[in-house]
Amino acid sequence: MSQPLMVNRYRWYELIGIYAGILAFLTFILAPFVEGFLVSLKPLSQLFSSPYRFIPQNGSFEAYRTMWVSVPGFARYIFNSFFISTIVTAVVLMLVVPAAYAFARFKFRGSGHLLGAFLAVNMFSGAVLLIPLFRLMRSFGVLNTYFAIIVPGVAFLIPSAIWLLRTYMMRIPRELDEAAFVDGASHFYTLRRVILPIAMPGITVVAITTFIGSYAQQFIYALTFNSKTEYAPLPVGLFAYFGRQEVIWNELMAASFVGIAPAMIVIFFLQRYLVSGLTAGAVKQ
Amino acid sequence: MGQLNLNTVQKFYGTFEVLKGIDLEVKNGEFVVFVGPSGCGKSTLLRMIAGLDETSAGDILIDGKRVNDLPPVKRGIAMVFQSYALYPHMTVFENIAFPLRVEKMQEDKLKAKVENAARILHLDQRLQQKPGLLSGGQRQRVAIGRAIVREPKIFLFDEPLSNLDAALRADMRIELAKLHRQLKATMIYVTHDQVEAMTMADRIVVLNAGEIAQTGAPLELYHKPANMFVAGFIGNPKMNMLPVICKAVGATGVEIEFQGQTATIPVEGRAGLVGQPLTLGIRPEHIQFGAADLALAIAPSVIEHLGAHTVAYAAVNGEGENFCAMLPGSAAIRTEETVPVGLKAADCHLFDADGIALERRLELGDVDMGLLKAGGV
Repeated sequence: MSQPLMVNRYRWYELIGIYAGILAFLTFILAPFVEGFLVSLKPLSQLFSSPYRFIPQNGSFEAYRTMWVSVPGFARYIFNSFFISTIVTAVVLMLVVPAAYAFARFKFRGSGHLLGAFLAVNMFSGAVLLIPLFRLMRSFGVLNTYFAIIVPGVAFLIPSAIWLLRTYMMRIPRELDEAAFVDGASHFYTLRRVILPIAMPGITVVAITTFIGSYAQQFIYALTFNSKTEYAPLPVGLFAYFGRQEVIWNELMAASFVGIAPAMIVIFFLQRYLVSGLTAGAVKQ
Repeated sequence: MGQLNLNTVQKFYGTFEVLKGIDLEVKNGEFVVFVGPSGCGKSTLLRMIAGLDETSAGDILIDGKRVNDLPPVKRGIAMVFQSYALYPHMTVFENIAFPLRVEKMQEDKLKAKVENAARILHLDQRLQQKPGLLSGGQRQRVAIGRAIVREPKIFLFDEPLSNLDAALRADMRIELAKLHRQLKATMIYVTHDQVEAMTMADRIVVLNAGEIAQTGAPLELYHKPANMFVAGFIGNPKMNMLPVICKAVGATGVEIEFQGQTATIPVEGRAGLVGQPLTLGIRPEHIQFGAADLALAIAPSVIEHLGAHTVAYAAVNGEGENFCAMLPGSAAIRTEETVPVGLKAADCHLFDADGIALERRLELGDVDMGLLKAGGV
């Protein structure tokens, strides 16, 4: 069982090469995080010392306490980020699951063009459309609300979610739909009782990417469509650590780490549903 | 009741005619097998009866009612798919109960029905397991269970055994035949395997290129194939075809010439055959050692020893086509050694230039005539 497959056997120099490659890339990816974490441990005075030391001397978790004091609204920002992402994810899933099923299963006029259009929308970054969106929001009178941050978030996350889930659903054997149809089930009944449970790993992937996507992209919408502090999400809220004279770097870093914690926890729980092999036994492959 | 009528049923994909006007009547309680090579339209026909594919033209009637535009469940059919199509996240119980859940049947009635179906199919011990834990044969039985709980008028099977291994397939054939006797329901079964067709069917419908080549009881197709296609398709190994010339048509049959020998084949002749090239068909199992009404010398290139039989393949007339002879298991033959074999005129089939059979005057003393009557239910 623990014996590696023949195709997975490598010579010693191949192994060294592989691990060297992994190390090089991991360094690039993880170094900013490590440095960010080290900064959060240092007292502010040490940050600009010369020569620069990476390892903090008399480092402490003090910044993780003072960050709540210097920016009292910080908990609210975390909540906002979390709240916005959760709502965006929920709305996207509600819209995307039936849509992906339709795109995966039914032939209808223009389905190919629609999918192409979704892909094209994905190529525009939301930033390009900020000014038209701003005008739109203003005419609707929804600036400075959660709504203004959530709706564009949903709109820009739907296309990739549809593509992802459609591909997953296309892998579910069509005979399952046909069998349910022969047994008298309606399309919605089939979707609910048959397709949804089998597509759960795919839906989880979509939920995770949407949640992360929303977490990352809400910054630009919140910055443009919202000027009220109470609706500001985490990335905007972090600016509060930029004082008039100085930037409280250590607290900023600490706040960044604390801020992404809820998202990490959600993803950790969602990942449990990423069970592969759920379709085992459905059809003879 | 489960009477099915097809009236000139056609199917087009674009301009391509997949089914060219199928007429068929299936009686209540009959086990009918559609058989034919891949792409002959047999699965399409079944899916049209099921209501999964649309009918381009013609009528499908179940118990005298036109069902062309009805969804499957309103037609009173149930279907078993080649790939089982089980719901992997549901237990065997829930899989079988699925059609009843759709109907919103009461829990106690539902439970009784599912358990009854499970008993018939020997799945009692497996009800709480998921399909992933079952073997191929058990999965297929679950699929059949899902079909029988609804008590449909007509069962449709789309190559249900082709995913099973050979031993299991033989077992399931027997179980399906038993199930048919037990349920007394109309069953329509699609397969490309002529052994399945021969063993289970009351009546076989042989399809070729979107048309019915012949309809009849298994032994009728074996003894009296209507054309060269059916003759070649039914029977394993395939019937041998030899080119002959018609010399005379008489009261006792048709006299033919083959490699300088003449023989009178007991078939119904007709005018205008004399001098025409005909095709003589002889099944491998009807070839015997030594000369008979017609004699041949074969030098087998390949010999298969099956124990019960010895199958020899050889070229006749120096032609590349494999002439196949099924000889006794103990036959003393070697490759590349010429042996004389013969065929009896009474075993021969004759086909005209269009491949249509001249009807055999069969003396079937050893065949139960009842088995030859189609649809003897």
